[in-house]
Amino acid sequence: MFCFQCEQTARTDTGAGCATAKGVCGKDETTSDLQDLLIYQLKGIGQYAHLLHQQGRPDAAADSFILYALFTTLTNVNFNRARFQEMIAEAARIRDRLQEAAGTRLAGPAAFQPANDLTGLLAQASIASVRAGLDAAGADVIGLRALVLYGLKGVAAYAHHAEVLGQTREAVGAGIAQALSFLASEPVDIEDILEEALALGRLNFTVMETLDAANTGTYGTPAPTNVRITPVAGKAVLVSGHDLRDLEAVLEATKDMGINVYTHGELLPAHSYPKLHAYPHLAGNYGGAWQNQQQEFAAFPGPVVMTSNCLIEPLPAYRNRIFTMGPVGWPGIKHLGHGDLAIVAQAAKALPGFAETAPEKTITIGFGRDAVLGAAETVIGAVKSGAIKHFFLIGGCDGAAPGRNYYTEFADAVPEDAMVLTLGCGKYRFNTHDFGTIGGLPRLLDLGQCNDTYSALVIAQALAGAFGCGVNELPLSLVVSWFEQKAAAVFLTLLALGVRNVRLGPTLPGFLTPALVDVLVNRFGVLPVTEAKADIAAAMGRAA
Amino acid sequence: MTEITLLTRDGVRLNVPCAPGQTVLAAAAAENLHLPAMCGCGNCGQCHAHVSTGGYEMGAYSPVALPDAAQGGVLLCRCMPHDDLVVELPYDDANISRRAIPEREAVIESITQAGAGAMMLALQLRPDETLGSGADFIPGQYMEFTVPGMEIKRAYSLANLPNWDGRLEFLIRLVPGGAFSTYLGTQATVGDALHLRGPMGHFKLDEASPRPRVLVGGGCGAAPLVSLLRHMAGYQEWQPEYLVFGVNREEEMLPQVLFDELRAGLPQLRIIQAVWHPSQGWGGFSGTAAEALDALLAEGMESPDVYLCGPPKMLGAARAVAGAHDVPTERIFIESLAG
Repeated sequence: MFCFQCEQTARTDTGAGCATAKGVCGKDETTSDLQDLLIYQLKGIGQYAHLLHQQGRPDAAADSFILYALFTTLTNVNFNRARFQEMIAEAARIRDRLQEAAGTRLAGPAAFQPANDLTGLLAQASIASVRAGLDAAGADVIGLRALVLYGLKGVAAYAHHAEVLGQTREAVGAGIAQALSFLASEPVDIEDILEEALALGRLNFTVMETLDAANTGTYGTPAPTNVRITPVAGKAVLVSGHDLRDLEAVLEATKDMGINVYTHGELLPAHSYPKLHAYPHLAGNYGGAWQNQQQEFAAFPGPVVMTSNCLIEPLPAYRNRIFTMGPVGWPGIKHLGHGDLAIVAQAAKALPGFAETAPEKTITIGFGRDAVLGAAETVIGAVKSGAIKHFFLIGGCDGAAPGRNYYTEFADAVPEDAMVLTLGCGKYRFNTHDFGTIGGLPRLLDLGQCNDTYSALVIAQALAGAFGCGVNELPLSLVVSWFEQKAAAVFLTLLALGVRNVRLGPTLPGFLTPALVDVLVNRFGVLPVTEAKADIAAAMGRAA
Repeated sequence: MTEITLLTRDGVRLNVPCAPGQTVLAAAAAENLHLPAMCGCGNCGQCHAHVSTGGYEMGAYSPVALPDAAQGGVLLCRCMPHDDLVVELPYDDANISRRAIPEREAVIESITQAGAGAMMLALQLRPDETLGSGADFIPGQYMEFTVPGMEIKRAYSLANLPNWDGRLEFLIRLVPGGAFSTYLGTQATVGDALHLRGPMGHFKLDEASPRPRVLVGGGCGAAPLVSLLRHMAGYQEWQPEYLVFGVNREEEMLPQVLFDELRAGLPQLRIIQAVWHPSQGWGGFSGTAAEALDALLAEGMESPDVYLCGPPKMLGAARAVAGAHDVPTERIFIESLAG
């Protein structure tokens, strides 16, 4: 096993990477090796899919499988070894189908034949390691290939979220197939790989635009909404992850039963979508960011549904009452399709629920692009009058590492004449703090999920248009906390759009060598985080 | 007052104060740390652990339940520290419950014969204000019964799966003269109320393991294995799976319908029925469960996980067989049904 795809990867004096029997995330060696093999197969499928896209004969089912399969390999998504064995067999069948359609036999991963038992598969795993070819290609090439692969995983995850809501674009399938095919060629030229990374960043912008259209097209335009964050008495279901459609399915399966549904983690923004908000039993938000789930799920008095990343090993206290959906999985945890949700309602009725209604507390969310741009005149006026001197977008993932206190300190130390925009689950560090108002607007604006980065970019571009400048000339600083591969995709998009001075932390990716970090810093203006107050001062100084 | 340091298999240290004359088990429970245990009187071996540092005194116990007393082995329900103690627990921190073990009321739903000398007992839990109405347990765990009209307690493993209907099923081998056996065989009727405590126990599946699984049961040891197999059937596992089940006489064998159900749910499951003293017409394996395990492992397979459940004598023999076939100790999971 070797994996260094997420921020929490083991770090030692000799380098970064989880290389023991179990990774920091809880992924065991067998599952990790099977994930590597599956990705290797996806590169092979990508080789044929790329060819078929070029010929105008795409295989939509294969494109869809690629999205789903890549999504399962993101951090904290699927830990189920048996599921990966199934997908490896399925990937081989899909490859065979594409090979026949292409009428040619390609070399490399496209020609890989997986063994038909676990022992054989594990013996093959070294060919598929993310570090395969290190001696010949060098650490910089391996690290940059990893950046492309991990960015690609994030793109696939976003595209899958859009796809389940019926939004697909052939250009996305073509772009992903091209990127997989590129990786299958084992590229060694740094500039070529860098250009591929930027192309992927541009592709991700399209994907995020598609996802935005899928979310708003299905559930309406997010609007400012007060969300209750304390429980009410009664039977209860908790839905975590990111998938709005799965949440909707749970709401449908539990309606008119006297069961309250609560959102957890990255599903908080669901309350701001009119069609989801309309469910009277969508009662509120419970708990905080993903890394607290073991304590929060254990304390929750009803079933828990995990719809996408980020899953941590379920404790015995709630193993029977947690269910997975979509790409998520854990050995021995029941996995549900949309037709299986009666068991969630049954569990909610059998479990005690909340005995008492706690005093009401609310937070305000739902400042997506329409809500913010609807107030654009007020915002622009406040900037011109000097009431708002700066915008800080503090966005991205949360995590358990102590270094993430940086983001709490940062948000609390932002000067009174600056506005804080936020998205992703990092916001739980400060979204119950009192930020007051500024220029007639709330000083803290919650833009939504990490999946809503497109909305933030549209806001930035619209403000730049209004002020007649570029995004980099705006009094705007991006402070990004990354944890997993969706953040890698967003990061590539920011680079591709030429957004500079992005503060990236809490640590830099373990797969980036010092030479690659130099490229990001010197060529793209990426700034590693230092101390919160110093970074705020630097940002305000740059703007001034 | 002495201090006990409990050291779990996954390296968590828990410090517990202990009063003179108090057992380790009781001292931990007083701190709301409920360690796996069953009989509470030194007979079952469920609370077996190892003392690496410190002096202690053991109350009365069954030597069968504690074969390694000379090597620092202890039964925590009988172990009273003399001075500060470091106790190595053979399980992870997650197996220590932080809440008091639930007490439940249940009603007998049905009692049916399950082979000679064994009964299938089905109960319906009564809803509980704080626990709800579901049957929430980990396959492999057990419940402790209070024998009606007596202070005596008996523990039986669950044979069904956790469910939200509140149904509990037990496969109980009747012991002549046994307190609960006598109740079940002579008095119990549908509708009777029973007082239960649980679920308890840390005999459970290592679900992340990719190794073949060999489940070995003898006599009364079928119930948790049936629960584990039913659980495995729900997850379409790929690894080879084996059930070795041994009884003394053919008529004690589990009902065929149960084996058929397990085979239907797990197509790759191979079932070896062993009878120690078979009649001439017996077509299965002739010998003990341990001997059947020996024959199975001698066929050769990838190093398996071995799950053993049964009386101490059977466990000792089966454990020795697994060891002789180089199955590492940490891959042998044991549920002792002594007492």
